[in-house]
Amino acid sequence: MRPAFVVQTAVLESMETAPLVVNGVMFITTSYNHVYAVNATTGEQYWHYKHKIGPVSTYCCGPNNKGVAISEGKLFMGTLDAKIVALDAKSGKLLWQTQIADPELGYSETMAPTVVDGKVLIGTNGGEYGVRGFVKAFNAETGKLDWTFHTIPDKGHEGVWAENDATGRNMKRDIPAEKAALAKNADFFKTLGGGVWMTPAIDKKTRTVFFVAGNPSPDLYGAERPGDNLYTNSMIAVDLDSGKYKWHYQYIAHDVWDLDAVSPPILVDVKNKDGKMIPGVIHGGKTGHIYVHDRSNGNLIRFSEAMVSQEGLWSLPTPKGTRMSLGANGGVEWSPMAVHPGLRLAFAANLEQPMTYHVEASAYPGGKLWLGGAFKNVPGEEQFGNVTAVNLDTGKIAWKARTPQPMIGGVLATAGDLVFAGEGNGWLKAYDAKSGKVLWQYQCGAGVNAPPTSYTVDGKQYIAVAAGGNSQLDFKRGNSVFVFAL
Amino acid sequence: MNVRFLFILLIALSSFLLPAQAQDIEAGKKKAEACAACHGADGNPIAPMFPALAGQNARYIYLQLKDYKEGRRKNALMSPMATSLSKEDMLDMASFFNAQKQAKNNFKTDPQRIKAGAAKAEESLCAMCHMGGMSGQNEIPRLAGQHPDYIITQLKNFKARERNNDAGNMTSLAQTLSEDDMVNLAHWISNLY
Repeated sequence: MRPAFVVQTAVLESMETAPLVVNGVMFITTSYNHVYAVNATTGEQYWHYKHKIGPVSTYCCGPNNKGVAISEGKLFMGTLDAKIVALDAKSGKLLWQTQIADPELGYSETMAPTVVDGKVLIGTNGGEYGVRGFVKAFNAETGKLDWTFHTIPDKGHEGVWAENDATGRNMKRDIPAEKAALAKNADFFKTLGGGVWMTPAIDKKTRTVFFVAGNPSPDLYGAERPGDNLYTNSMIAVDLDSGKYKWHYQYIAHDVWDLDAVSPPILVDVKNKDGKMIPGVIHGGKTGHIYVHDRSNGNLIRFSEAMVSQEGLWSLPTPKGTRMSLGANGGVEWSPMAVHPGLRLAFAANLEQPMTYHVEASAYPGGKLWLGGAFKNVPGEEQFGNVTAVNLDTGKIAWKARTPQPMIGGVLATAGDLVFAGEGNGWLKAYDAKSGKVLWQYQCGAGVNAPPTSYTVDGKQYIAVAAGGNSQLDFKRGNSVFVFAL
Repeated sequence: MNVRFLFILLIALSSFLLPAQAQDIEAGKKKAEACAACHGADGNPIAPMFPALAGQNARYIYLQLKDYKEGRRKNALMSPMATSLSKEDMLDMASFFNAQKQAKNNFKTDPQRIKAGAAKAEESLCAMCHMGGMSGQNEIPRLAGQHPDYIITQLKNFKARERNNDAGNMTSLAQTLSEDDMVNLAHWISNLY
């Protein structure tokens, strides 16, 4: 496999875009909300759109964008200044734009929206800023708001006072102290976080939207946000037509480690506890487990073996710092997983990044970064990554391939039994899906920290991936999308 | 169409087409005259104890001015200066300083300290918020090229919680830094220009 062409963009900054190909045209996005349309077989540019970002844009972790959605000749993109824009896919001309929320309060967009049946679905960033998270549906024709689902309910966010996480381990909560704090103040739901910053999945048959909600705000200081902080760190299912709640499953109640639920849910049939194949939905957790749910009610069927080290779980943050081998970027970050249904395997990109967690009391700062503490690397401790294959029906690890750096960007599995994943050092690797053996690699010259995609034009298969590095892990920046073919 | 009318139309159009930010910068320049005594007329300070504002992120400058005005950040010189500023004043000045070119400071850095500072910065995950090269983003300040005197003072203030308008992040991190760490970080940051 060799490069067929390379698209060079005008923006030398972190790339997280998933190239989207429709009718032989590839759409890619860059940091700062540029969109390019190019010929998907030659790379020749058709148009270039640059969003005029307003005076206020608030984002924690780089000016990223993860891609566009397309339907009936319209492209949809979320922007750093918290707008949703619709472009004409042929010309790149702006058709409409709608302000989603107030960027002064920490709302911003880096995720790729989902478009289905005339609705554009998008969540929000801002778990580091004290937002109130949501998923909103906009009319694809007009940009008008259709419905809003708040990830933080105004009542009942204290939940069931869960003592254990989804895997049954005690989280060392001081529940009497939390209950006393709640009696004093329960109004913090407006700043409790719960951003939804990765793309939802849709089951059209049951007209259900599945998404994961991120961490509570502030990240590390939990004393003034007592309770389970529902529905943070949860998978949530809502009705596609009304946005009404169907079910949720919370992985970590009252999180104080920034261990969001973030890698996007994947819909796949799975074996239930009775050995029967049923519609399932899976999530790769920052905890390092893959969670397998019954799609109809959210019940947890199983969780995988831990893909990363979990020493010190769940040590509470302290002013001086407490070490956990699981860092705040988690065992799986936002990186989308891939599934090979035939092999019954899910593939995840892992980070091994030990950190110390520090807490500092801090009041809501009015739309500024609000961590309530700090994370630090542990001096002298090695950081690395894995690509891990997990059997969906048993939860067992089938293979694990080690990489020299923590992995962020995502994984692609093809029907030809190949698994693709990029690294911060510029290597894009193809693994044997059955064994994890590296079969091919190509040096892209900048961090490959975006999800690879596969597409076919006129019967010829291509693999496309952005090599733009990553701002969060400070991997070497680039400005290119590489496209490979046989 | 007569020529005079065309001329007027062009003038009208050109002012209409000017980006809003350009007007803010002009307004900001005038409003920033009061800042020049310490921060320099172009945002490059007259003494190392004052931060360079030239090239600083507009959002950071705006939010710090707002914090001074509303009492979340306190300084004997800055707090009284900020009390009479309107939101528009702050935004205009922020745009003006952001548009100025940062000059290299004349501090002589120590290579050993730069190396130690770089290691401490990696451990402390500075780039996670301040970005690679400490170039800053949004409300997270650009640090590259600041004079060590200013950086050390701020880190000490964070550690002593005398500056605590950071929502717990820098105050928490500063608890883990010794004075020597602060000096090393300041050398590394100063050298990033």
